[in-house]
Amino acid sequence: GGFSKMASPKTLPKDAQVMIQILKDMGITEYEPRVINQMLEFTYRYVTTIIEDAKIYATHAKKSNVDADDIRLAIQCRMDQSFTSPPPRDFLLEVARQKNQTPLPLIKPYTGPRLPPDRYCLTAPNYRLKSLQKKTSSSAGRITVPRLSVGAVSSRPSTPTLGELMRKLYVYTTSTPSTPTVQNVLINPSLIGSKNILITTNMVSQNSTSDSSTLKRKHEEDDDYDAL
Amino acid sequence: MRGNETLLDFRTSKFVLRISRDSYQLLKRHLQERQNNQIWNIIQEHLYIDIFDGMPRSKSQIDSMSGSLAGEAKREANKAKVFYGLLKEPEIEVPLDDEDEEAENEEGKPKKKKPKKDSMGSKSKKQDPNAPQQNRIPLPELKDSDKLDKIMYMKEATKRIRLGPDNLPSICFYTFLNAYQGLTAVDITDDSSLIAGGFADSTVRVWSVTPRKLRAVKSATDLSLIDKESEDVLERIMDEKTASESKILYGHNGPVYGISFSPDRNYLLSCSEDGTVRLWSLQTFTCLVCYKGHNYPVWDVQFSPHGYYFTSGGHDRVARLWATDHYQPLRMFAGHLADITCTRFHPNSNYLATGSADRTVRLWDILNGNCNRIFTGHKGPIHSLAFSPNGKFLASGATDGRVLLWDIGRGLMIEELNGHTDTIYALKFSRDGEILASGSMDNTVRLWDAVKAFDDIETDDFTAATGHVHLSENSLELQLGTYTSKSTPVIHLHFTRRNLLLAAGGCYSPF
Repeated sequence: GGFSKMASPKTLPKDAQVMIQILKDMGITEYEPRVINQMLEFTYRYVTTIIEDAKIYATHAKKSNVDADDIRLAIQCRMDQSFTSPPPRDFLLEVARQKNQTPLPLIKPYTGPRLPPDRYCLTAPNYRLKSLQKKTSSSAGRITVPRLSVGAVSSRPSTPTLGELMRKLYVYTTSTPSTPTVQNVLINPSLIGSKNILITTNMVSQNSTSDSSTLKRKHEEDDDYDAL
Repeated sequence: MRGNETLLDFRTSKFVLRISRDSYQLLKRHLQERQNNQIWNIIQEHLYIDIFDGMPRSKSQIDSMSGSLAGEAKREANKAKVFYGLLKEPEIEVPLDDEDEEAENEEGKPKKKKPKKDSMGSKSKKQDPNAPQQNRIPLPELKDSDKLDKIMYMKEATKRIRLGPDNLPSICFYTFLNAYQGLTAVDITDDSSLIAGGFADSTVRVWSVTPRKLRAVKSATDLSLIDKESEDVLERIMDEKTASESKILYGHNGPVYGISFSPDRNYLLSCSEDGTVRLWSLQTFTCLVCYKGHNYPVWDVQFSPHGYYFTSGGHDRVARLWATDHYQPLRMFAGHLADITCTRFHPNSNYLATGSADRTVRLWDILNGNCNRIFTGHKGPIHSLAFSPNGKFLASGATDGRVLLWDIGRGLMIEELNGHTDTIYALKFSRDGEILASGSMDNTVRLWDAVKAFDDIETDDFTAATGHVHLSENSLELQLGTYTSKSTPVIHLHFTRRNLLLAAGGCYSPF
């Protein structure tokens, strides 16, 4: 990429020529040609963001025109948001000194993958099942598939626990004995995490009676997964 | 200007200058005779004069140590004791092959297994005075699978080729095609079975180097159908239908700048411009944890050689030590004046080396977070570090194209290796420390004679006391070979357990 010749400055658009001049003024002599495109894109995005923000501030202040104060405010707000710099050195040294005083925690014997508590991991299910519509049908064999609604992944502790999920499924199957339904629940495979719990669901066939207390929950022995 | 932290650091901290007492007296007298108080004031305000007794240094000696943004290291910065020795290997019983035994004991007599003590364990019961105590920092105990790994390692070690100036390693280059300049990080497992690449499009891809394909664990519904009591249950839980040569991991929000496999090959770490470090499972090929702490791009991440701990370093000038089961860092190492570009664990997991854009290499003690060594001398940001397998020496490579070798115990520069013409992004010692391989943006891999470089260390105590450097001017003699690729920069090097050198880089097709 950096070996191709640059287009002669006369044929470049004016903005690109300005950018080349800026780079030269800043003392940068060696750069790949794509850098100019990237810088121009960045400039365009930055300027449009500032001007849009300034327009919002001007409307908020019930002004008909955008003036320099609005622009100044827009720049300041964006600076605090995007162009932050890391904390100052003395602050870092102080924080580090405090953190390094606590001794290193002892390591407990192996009881499964060493991961943080579940709510800090990404191993929880990130979807919930919507409730089934109750349908009375005369013909046997009506199949209703539960709709999956993918909820936002959040770190709140009250993500649906395994218990809640189990309860919901149990309610569906025992609700209307006369309506045979087929349930097909897919559980996020990364649930096989630190607790080594497997959920097994049995498919309820459409012709069977509602002997649907078939949802089992099995605990896997820990030593099956030792070698993983 | 007010908010610029680098400028603030320059204005508040003092530039360190080391000067002999005689030279200092001359300087002082000269300035005071001329009554040039202004210069004298500037010196007193902004320079820290570290005076030593003895012979003044030559220009070449001063040149070799200079370059850091904050001057040289003060003498007391490199005085603390560093336990650079290796931890004792645990003794593992190597069971004899079952086939031999059955042939001999057909009568069914009780077999007496004579366990072979592994040859890697130290024979002497005495503690190496330069090695840390076994429990200086808590380390995870060995699981059965780890012990099996160690046995494999020992078996491979017996088949290892002895390298030397007459016996150079063969080099196998893994070129990443169609990367379009987006390959930003590479790592290879210790047994060379998996290779992973981090890309600028925020993906991480894992490939299997061996013919054996990558398999993920089956989904929960499929797992319920298998027979849990069967003997090969560990094969049955793997999904054959989606087995493939490579797997892609999605999750990051920005280019992936560093990746690291865990020693037991169960996990993969990746760090990115989005400020997070992610832990991926190599059983399910999904993301397990997202460690947030750096709010700025993280440039490098590495698992400890014993697993469980890992470090990360980034734009916020702080290196952090994490454990996989803590969502917050355990240690923070602050002190660098600019971005930390490279972090490497010492083979005994007790120390951490960081290379930075402020052109220094610092060695940190994980136990208490202290900075034990500051090495100055590079003339550009440092991009690669490598510890020698015996733990005594450290090699560093920077944008100035030089590789510098450091003696950790005494805190001195040993050697300067010139040859590369561009940034050195990869450094690796061979398995027994005889050869140092360096890979650079100038599309070459160079091999250096490490044994010869470390033999020439002066054992003079006086040298150690003053911290002077005596570089032998034979870096040309130390260079054993230069190997050029057509147009592929080398960003990773790895010696297999049998001392075959693997190199990796992304193909840069000219536009």
